[in-house]
Amino acid sequence: MLSFLNPVLLLGILGASIPIIIHLINKRKSVSHKFAAIDFLLETNKRISIKFKIRQLILLILRASLLMFLALSLAKPFIKNSGGGAEEKNIPTSNVIIIDDSFSMQYSDRQDSFFSSAKTAAKQIVDTFQKDDEAAVIACSSSKPLVLPELEDDKKHLFNAIDQFHPGFTATHIMSALDTAVEILASAKTSIRRIFLLTDMTRNGWDPHWFKSGHEKLQRHVTRFHILDVSEGRILKNIAITHAELQLNLMERNAEIRIKATISNFSPVPVKDLPVHIYIHGKKSAQGFFNIETNASETKEFFITAERGKDIYGWVEIPGDNLLADNKRYFTINASQPIEALLIDGDPKTNIYESETFYLEKALNPGREHLSSIKPSLCAIHEVNNMTFADFNIIFLCNVETLPPEKIQELGKFVQEGGTVIFTLGNNVDADYYNTAFGALLPHRLHTIRTFSSNSPLSEEQPLHLKTTEPIHPVMSILSESQISMLSLVKFYRIFYVDPTPLGSCKTILSFSNDTPALIERQVGQGKSVLFAASIDRDWTDFPVNPFFLPVMQQLCRYVTGSIPEEISKEILVKDAWQYPCAFDTNVIEITDPDGTQTVVQPQFADNEKYFKYEETKMPGIYAVTIDGKLHPQFPAYFSVNVDPAESNLKKINKSEITALMGGTKLSITTSHTGEESNVLLGEAKKTLWGQLLFLTLCILFLESFISRK
Amino acid sequence: MAENPFDPVTLSKIANMELRARLIVDGVLSGIHKSPYTGSSIEFLEHKEYSPGNEIKHIDWKVLAKTDKYYVKQFEEETNLRCYIFLDASGSMGYKSTGISKFAYAATLAASLSYLFLKQSDLVGLISFNDRVLHYIPPRSRITYLHTILNVLAGLKPAGKSNISAVLNSFVEKISHRSLIIIISDFFDQVEKIIHQVQHFQFKQNEVILFHILDSYELTFPFETVTLFESMEDERRILADPKSIKAHYLFEMHHFLEQFKQSCFENQIDYCLIDSSSPMDQALIKFLARRESTLRPVHKT
Repeated sequence: MLSFLNPVLLLGILGASIPIIIHLINKRKSVSHKFAAIDFLLETNKRISIKFKIRQLILLILRASLLMFLALSLAKPFIKNSGGGAEEKNIPTSNVIIIDDSFSMQYSDRQDSFFSSAKTAAKQIVDTFQKDDEAAVIACSSSKPLVLPELEDDKKHLFNAIDQFHPGFTATHIMSALDTAVEILASAKTSIRRIFLLTDMTRNGWDPHWFKSGHEKLQRHVTRFHILDVSEGRILKNIAITHAELQLNLMERNAEIRIKATISNFSPVPVKDLPVHIYIHGKKSAQGFFNIETNASETKEFFITAERGKDIYGWVEIPGDNLLADNKRYFTINASQPIEALLIDGDPKTNIYESETFYLEKALNPGREHLSSIKPSLCAIHEVNNMTFADFNIIFLCNVETLPPEKIQELGKFVQEGGTVIFTLGNNVDADYYNTAFGALLPHRLHTIRTFSSNSPLSEEQPLHLKTTEPIHPVMSILSESQISMLSLVKFYRIFYVDPTPLGSCKTILSFSNDTPALIERQVGQGKSVLFAASIDRDWTDFPVNPFFLPVMQQLCRYVTGSIPEEISKEILVKDAWQYPCAFDTNVIEITDPDGTQTVVQPQFADNEKYFKYEETKMPGIYAVTIDGKLHPQFPAYFSVNVDPAESNLKKINKSEITALMGGTKLSITTSHTGEESNVLLGEAKKTLWGQLLFLTLCILFLESFISRK
Repeated sequence: MAENPFDPVTLSKIANMELRARLIVDGVLSGIHKSPYTGSSIEFLEHKEYSPGNEIKHIDWKVLAKTDKYYVKQFEEETNLRCYIFLDASGSMGYKSTGISKFAYAATLAASLSYLFLKQSDLVGLISFNDRVLHYIPPRSRITYLHTILNVLAGLKPAGKSNISAVLNSFVEKISHRSLIIIISDFFDQVEKIIHQVQHFQFKQNEVILFHILDSYELTFPFETVTLFESMEDERRILADPKSIKAHYLFEMHHFLEQFKQSCFENQIDYCLIDSSSPMDQALIKFLARRESTLRPVHKT
């Protein structure tokens, strides 16, 4: 059926009458001239009259058809062919149009992005539908695949749904979209059920595992599976920041940030001297140049000094290319709050090297000044009455024999209200006393002291070592793999056995090589209680003189006080949820996205834990967290959201690979490009004629000028 | 048809014509042309030995006295030239593109020639015609006779179809031998018929001069736009694209002129093609100079 995209311009066909009118006017207005040699004219005209008239007629027809074809081609005619195959003509069909809305569809090396082309193609497909055809439009986004999830036969609704469709920043999830499409088509009543997938054919998102079972579903419920390559088969070029890793050096006076930026070249040509900039708080802070071979990555480190104690946000940026979404990668660093720690030494010595807390104090604050964020304060047992626990964040009880009852009570209250007590044991510790006095705080009841030393007469076995638990506790995540492997070199000659039954909600951070707990945490009220089942000095172990003693102790302090910079290592991708534990006195926070839209987030509860969860991470960028419009020390000021780097690789999948994934299915799969050559898919939908008509018009113009000049 | 000779308009036209004709012929006489005609007296030509049968009155007695032989005198006959000017006044002669019409040009030419002949004391007659004779003025030699001719010329208007051969045919018997016959026309007629009639005149030892008057547009056909051409002698009309037919038209016209010229040459007819846009004095000078250079007598004795 012949239709027109601009039917109004068909009025231009009336222009075909212009040459005829001009001819008639000329004939009427022809100059009359009395001429004597009329006989010669008659003689001449007799010979050429017929030829002249035929030529004039041909010219008239050519000029009229020239204007007519011009008007026709401007009206953009096309032939609608609703069914594709002859067997589908006039038979109602059910269709699901899947539009790839991953951020790779924002690729634009021409006037329109792939996403715009996909929308146009989707509209063209809808336009070919006949009266009883129905269709649904869905996206490739995993979290929100539905745009118009129910089969709809009203073209206006379908057009509106397509119009309101916007590209996202997620990676491709073809499989979830196919699942949804199959689900929709399974309920369709028509016999012809088609899926139109409009995608850029990038390999990412085609999960081979899904097809192992998915192709059966497709064959059962779908009669045709059309894939339209909106990239028109072009080789795509992209350079992307695929990784930005941050490390903080907390030992310096000012926080030194080490940023490891990885740039990947997914183009068929190598890149030379690609400038890469690091921005901190919107200001350019560092710059480097990358040379990257084809389909390779290069990583460089940038060192930036930032002011200590402040939340930092920034991004890595490369110059714009055809795909802009992955040219920035954001990061944030949350300021570590100063931690006040009280170290109660239960075994002070004149020689400070022999004191119980010597190594611990040095680990928490190695310099003479308070360079780390942890401020340890030493206190002998007889001075404890002068101390107020509430002034500190952490109370270390190091080999303390006893505490005054009022201090035990104060300690219980301190922990309940959010403080942390860390018990380290030793020869002064009496298990019964501890179990009685600190029973409400200890993670496990203390049992007996065991000695493991071949040199000791009391020796029973070889010294014990340390090992991590699975999964690795956040405290231990500060150690590298090699450092973790060195845990087995630590020797423990004597330890405290604890009862296997925990006294509350407990987690084992480290255990001994004989699987007995070594470092255990317990949630007590709003606070934490931690038990180290050995001495913190060198009496029972050589742990304090090992290189990882310092980071583990510092990390433990940060962890128990909730100031561990977890976000550095944990990257939030678009559509991932941001989650953060909250204090009980906070009931609402505001999160402002990069567009400036503010969302109020209410706390949620799960497993007795209160936390805030924000799921509207629709776009990459820096999100700000505030309470009543102000920053709050309990919460990070910012968190960053980035695109999935897997989507930056624009390597394509071809039809044979898709067919192979389908395991030799009988389902008709067609892949075609948009444009004139797409006679498989768009040919089924429509065949445009204006190109041919314009060519014909040009031919007529040429012929007309040739004849009229002759 | 002659107009009232006392009509002031007519008189002014005649005066104008006379002036024009006189100017042109004066120009001719002053430089180039010397009339070959010697006058009306009987002139001695040669002596011839007497033979029986010759009239005795022609014996030259003086020669007899000197030589004692009988010779008779031979004399020239009447040498006054009779000139008949045939002027085509058919509708086609009324055509003009720019300047004056072919007929006006032809009439001026006739007046000029008449003045020329009368001034030489020759006899000039005028016959205007289209498909029939419109006016016939018998040959006279009085100079005042010019007024009569001019008066007739001024009163003529080109109209009607032309039939040259029929008109000439009607004069074959009327015109005595040894006359000069000048035909001024566009000759849009059948060439063969015209030549055939002219041959009749020649047979009677008349000399014939054909002045072929054509308009420059008829010779070059410079039309551009689609034009409805209308005949000047009847109701025929034709709508034509001049660009498309120009080549064919010019070919036909050229063929016609060549055919005419060739026929005249073969029959020793003096032929002169004149473009009506060219100055008449120059055309006349050119014609008369050519005649003198060819040393052909104006008429045979």
